[in-house]
Amino acid sequence: MDAPPENHFRSRPGAIRAWENVLHWLFRGATYLVLLCGGLVFGQIVWRGAQTVFTTRAPFVNVAFFTEAPESLHVFEYQGQKQELGDRAFNAFKVAHPDAKDVKDESYVYSAGGIFPCIVGTVLLVAGSMAIALFLGVSSAIYLNEYAHDSALVRFIRLAILNLAGVPSIVFGLFGFGMFVIFFGWNVSLIAGWFTLAFMVLPVVITASEESLKAVPKGFREGSLALGATKWQTIRQNVLPYALPGILTSSILGIARVAGETAPIMFTAAYVVRDKLPWEGLTKASDFFFQGVMALPYHIYVVSSKIPQNEYTARVQYGTAFVFLLLVALIASASIVLRSRLRNRYKW
Amino acid sequence: MAPPSIPPPTTAPAEAAPTSAAPAGFLANKSRFRLFGLTLDGCIKVFFGGNAVVAVVVLSLITIFLFKEGGGFTGQNRANLEIYRRAGLEFVDFMRTQVAGHTALTRELSELRLRQFNRLTQEQKLPPAEANAALATFDKFSDQFDDAVVPLRRLVSDLTETATAIKDKFAINENLSIARQQLLAEGKAAEAEKIAVKPVDFEAELKPLLAALPDYQKAAADEAAKIAAALAAAPALPSPELQARLEKLKSSARAYVNGFPEVEKTLRSWDHRQPVPAARAFAAFVFGREWITQSFWQDWYGILPLLVGSLLVSLAALCLAVPLGIGAAIYVNQLASPREQRLIKPGIEFIAAIPSVVLGFFGIAVLGETLRWLSQQSWLSWVPGFPYSERLNVLTAGCLLALIAVPTIFTLAEDALNNVPRAFKEASFALGASRLQTILKIIVPASLSGIISAVLLGLGRVVGETMVVLLCAGNRIALPDFTAGLSVLTQPVHTMTGIIAQEMGEVPHASIHYRALFMVGLVLFFLSLLINWLAQKIVRRYRIAIG
Repeated sequence: MDAPPENHFRSRPGAIRAWENVLHWLFRGATYLVLLCGGLVFGQIVWRGAQTVFTTRAPFVNVAFFTEAPESLHVFEYQGQKQELGDRAFNAFKVAHPDAKDVKDESYVYSAGGIFPCIVGTVLLVAGSMAIALFLGVSSAIYLNEYAHDSALVRFIRLAILNLAGVPSIVFGLFGFGMFVIFFGWNVSLIAGWFTLAFMVLPVVITASEESLKAVPKGFREGSLALGATKWQTIRQNVLPYALPGILTSSILGIARVAGETAPIMFTAAYVVRDKLPWEGLTKASDFFFQGVMALPYHIYVVSSKIPQNEYTARVQYGTAFVFLLLVALIASASIVLRSRLRNRYKW
Repeated sequence: MAPPSIPPPTTAPAEAAPTSAAPAGFLANKSRFRLFGLTLDGCIKVFFGGNAVVAVVVLSLITIFLFKEGGGFTGQNRANLEIYRRAGLEFVDFMRTQVAGHTALTRELSELRLRQFNRLTQEQKLPPAEANAALATFDKFSDQFDDAVVPLRRLVSDLTETATAIKDKFAINENLSIARQQLLAEGKAAEAEKIAVKPVDFEAELKPLLAALPDYQKAAADEAAKIAAALAAAPALPSPELQARLEKLKSSARAYVNGFPEVEKTLRSWDHRQPVPAARAFAAFVFGREWITQSFWQDWYGILPLLVGSLLVSLAALCLAVPLGIGAAIYVNQLASPREQRLIKPGIEFIAAIPSVVLGFFGIAVLGETLRWLSQQSWLSWVPGFPYSERLNVLTAGCLLALIAVPTIFTLAEDALNNVPRAFKEASFALGASRLQTILKIIVPASLSGIISAVLLGLGRVVGETMVVLLCAGNRIALPDFTAGLSVLTQPVHTMTGIIAQEMGEVPHASIHYRALFMVGLVLFFLSLLINWLAQKIVRRYRIAIG
């Protein structure tokens, strides 16, 4: 049998090739290491948090965790049995068992009950600030992309947006504190948090909106203008409808950012603990805007730094982190999925 | 809407083309509605333009408010330093520094004793009691050394009380005069008259303090004599390494004693009437090595420990994030198959979406503990700084911050790689270069400006990060000890962002502490602007080079 003819162009094993392989695997290793680290953080919190959030018995979800307010956990021994009760249950227990009146208990703040007020607060904060940010951001983007010509003012605006994007979130917090809380006298309130968060996320929204507007072909505008439509008619009927889905999906990333930030709301909107829900005990409608709220990220900060780490507190810590992470992850993945859908929908 | 106006019939013959007569009929009249002389479209344009200016307005408002709130700091700090001088606290602190110098030497001595003790018990297997007995002469020496400072320490603690009393008196007076001014402002002159404010006579109050100078001389002379005696009788240590350290200690003790006349000279020439220049009050912030607040003695607002802490944590994070982020970008952009790309990109975007407070919690709950456990394994003891005992430190925070920086660096670096024209790659292949040669010698250099700016923006992201450092950096306000080499990375630090988040909620409005925090915010703001500006400049400057 003949040996196959030698292929002179095949790559030969050698030092260069070996190097190439090594470096290839180094780059690949770096990539997967990053993913692994992210996965580890995610996995750890999901694994431990799921134990709080889900139960083995029907309805399989820890409903109380989602519907109750945080309260202190009392751990005590009564008649040889270890009991763990929340504040209210503990008081009821003491009434029911008069001999348990001065039972020795260890109490852990925020470790019982649920996180309902925090969820409500976060939803309110996100909704309000995104409404403001979307309004301002989309309008700015329309101006920059549709109306503005290359002038000194426009260049200055773009520079400001670029720099605004790099300002640390805690500086926005300081600014919000100095301006809204102190100077305007709004105190720690929803509305101060709204504006602080809205200004923080403004660059993200403007950039995203501008990109979507840019993606609408020029021909759409020219066609409309040629038919005699005014500039505003053109924008409203021939540009915005096609840009809107893109604007919204990209802005969802802004929502994830707003929901995830803690530093700006620490001293503008968030309370460590508040008994009343935002719609309770209002004497007039405007009170709604001028009240502080509890928020998920701030609650995580409080429970992870202000109370010790042990088996009783870990439940609420991981549970809160899990719910929060899931919320943000859902928003982020919705944006990622929608964006890839969108990319395939419009082709021009 | 009104129908378009019909042009008046032209008198010109029909076959003649209307060249430039009255407005043509097909032109819709768009300009009926007017507001301030603007058409409807103009109004809309102005409305959108107004919104676009918001970004500029916000940026300038941030600057204005940071300056407004932080602006009074220098003046207040000057007053703060002035009272520090006039109440004689500065005078006492000169002596206190001398005591502190002694304390540092004592600490070194006890460290030496611990080393020797460990040597005896672990290497020579002596029981602790016998080891202690063997160290008896050393203990005698170190006791003698310790005792030397006792008179001076006593003097300092007496004078501390005197000076604090003066300062308190002044503070009470200040409060009274503020109350009085408030009453006057409210128009209650009669009540205001009742508040008697006697200005503090610093000259008289300081007399007992200044009279203590001879006492100081005596105490210092006493200390010098005792230290000299102790050093003369110092025992020798068996191992050469420890002996060398002891010798070094001895020489630094001598240098310490030699510094006494200098202290005395400073004390003599000290004058409480000397004014504190504003520049010094500002320098005390920029170059101050201490951040001490709400102390009974003297508050210091020096940014250095916080700035150094911030930079140290950020550098640690970048050291991890830069190779990983850029490596991943190169892999995804140049080497990975399309399927892998579709998997990795969303994955890394997902990491970017993890809220920083969750990462911080992970650091407290898991990573800090894990890293400490790792550091205490014997097979890792060669790593500098290992083993360590502080669970929360630069390393813990740096690792988590790296995870925050990687997505930023990855995304921007990948963009930069993507922007390299295809022809570069093809030309390189055509010349027979291998894939790796092309990547390392053509594509990466061509996109280097983009990659550098990606790293800079990653740095900006990390420096401004708050929750992770607040939760995981250890929050010890002190300059890290750089003499320890790389193990500086296992020390706890505090950061600029962390201190604002931690203390802002508790300070009284318009107090000096409040203003100091705004000053820190100002530094942070300009630091981030500087980083941003550099990144833009680098991109703009070198982008053209690609052609």
